[in-house]
Amino acid sequence: MSTKNHYAFVIDVARCIDCRACLVACSVENKVPMNHTRIWVHDQGVQGEWPDLSHTFVPYNCMHCDNPPCTEVCVSGATYKDAVTGLVLVDQEACIGCGYCVEACPYGARYIDQRRGVVDKCTACVQRLEVGLQPACVATCVGKARMFGDLNDPTSEASVAIQNATSVTRLDYEKDGTDTDPNIFYLNLPTTGSILSSDTFNQVPNATLPRDSRYTIAEEGWKKVAIPVLAAAMGATFLVQAFFFTKQLVAGEKEFEE
Amino acid sequence: MSHTSIPLPERQRLRQKLIKKHNLANILTHWFNVASWLLLLPTGIAIISSPRLGITPIWWQEAFRNLFGSDANLIRFHYTIGFIWIFVILFNVFIGFRKYFVPFAAHRMLLDNDDIEWMKTKPLQMMGFIKDKPLPPQDAYNAGQKVYSYFVVICTLGIMVSGPVMVFKNLFPPIVKQIAQPIHFISVFVIVAWLFIHVYMGAVFPEEKEAFFSMFSGKVSAWYARAHHEKWYNEKLKEEMEWEDQVEAEVQKSQQLADEHGGPD
Repeated sequence: MSTKNHYAFVIDVARCIDCRACLVACSVENKVPMNHTRIWVHDQGVQGEWPDLSHTFVPYNCMHCDNPPCTEVCVSGATYKDAVTGLVLVDQEACIGCGYCVEACPYGARYIDQRRGVVDKCTACVQRLEVGLQPACVATCVGKARMFGDLNDPTSEASVAIQNATSVTRLDYEKDGTDTDPNIFYLNLPTTGSILSSDTFNQVPNATLPRDSRYTIAEEGWKKVAIPVLAAAMGATFLVQAFFFTKQLVAGEKEFEE
Repeated sequence: MSHTSIPLPERQRLRQKLIKKHNLANILTHWFNVASWLLLLPTGIAIISSPRLGITPIWWQEAFRNLFGSDANLIRFHYTIGFIWIFVILFNVFIGFRKYFVPFAAHRMLLDNDDIEWMKTKPLQMMGFIKDKPLPPQDAYNAGQKVYSYFVVICTLGIMVSGPVMVFKNLFPPIVKQIAQPIHFISVFVIVAWLFIHVYMGAVFPEEKEAFFSMFSGKVSAWYARAHHEKWYNEKLKEEMEWEDQVEAEVQKSQQLADEHGGPD
């Protein structure tokens, strides 16, 4: 799906010091409840053997995928990929907080705000974008690890950073016909040790992302049992009445004998 | 069938004689229910936009979202009408609980041996077998209608419970809301599956034409009642005769009194 803007995060993991100022800025800007966060920093742990040690922190939030699995499962269309900005957003007035999307997101980037009974996630601070500001996490990042911009615009900060990068990695999730094409571009993500890529992530013990898309029993039962059974039942009753109706039309109306 | 042996004038008399089958409360509740379903079903189908479930065509979703302005407004409209529907239906059931609902549940819904026999015979006859076998006499509602009523009552309850769960979203844990959605869907479409038969039999099928008009006037002809609901017709006749006897007795009694007291003055 090509959109007018193609907003993307570019995160230089070499510059992240795990200060988590982005978490705080995000929570303040978006009034995120105290027990939740829209941003995480994944601690890879110390990698390698002495003296070649490294310690990498991978900040992440919603990847605003090109093909988001979360919007596929949303029953009411409350979560959608915006046709203009390309951001994956939640219409919280339409959302009932059932959490089908929370299970389906392979990055675990969504949570249920039980107080309001809705699903909440990173919006890339659309309220700030509209007035020409950067998302709160990007604006606050002390080491300039986080960047944000429109990839359709070759002069944007994000485009320039990707053009000048030596290594660009996406945590793409490709499985069972799903190909997310995420829009967080990691710069300088180590490609050895606990590499987070689609073919190896399951073998990495402390990898948090991506995980497998999950589908709830209710959603699976609905799709695989309820719909086929009811479609068959409705088809059968429709055909029965159609048969008798046709028969009635062919026979014509009978007048009373009086 | 038994009624072929009735002489013509008698048949005409039966056609003209009207028996009350539905009271005004039931007629109004029925058409209120129809109006609600006509508003709720298209909007409800339009809400289900999950590509993974793949139920509703895109043009349908777009048409209703454009009509109401947004996804949230469409959902608000759906549940507002839904709450009015729940309130009116439950209000009518509880107001008429002793007068209409209990007699209906106790006498009209229970399946007896004739109904079991009817269910064995009718489907075969519809498929073109044993056409000459007479159908057992039926009560005010035939066995098919009785079975339909069970589905309707259970599925209506399913809709009425699962709907508000999704509206009062902060009161229920996610797992309940996850299950409520397919329950809502299943309850609706089980009724819709039966609805094809219900609408066809009620409104289009030639032999049952009177049933359709009785849903406006409340009355069916004695001829129709005798042919399709013989047990109920006999019951009605008995009531009528008892009533006549009673009137007769009262008239005689008042005449006796009048004789004793020297006539009215």
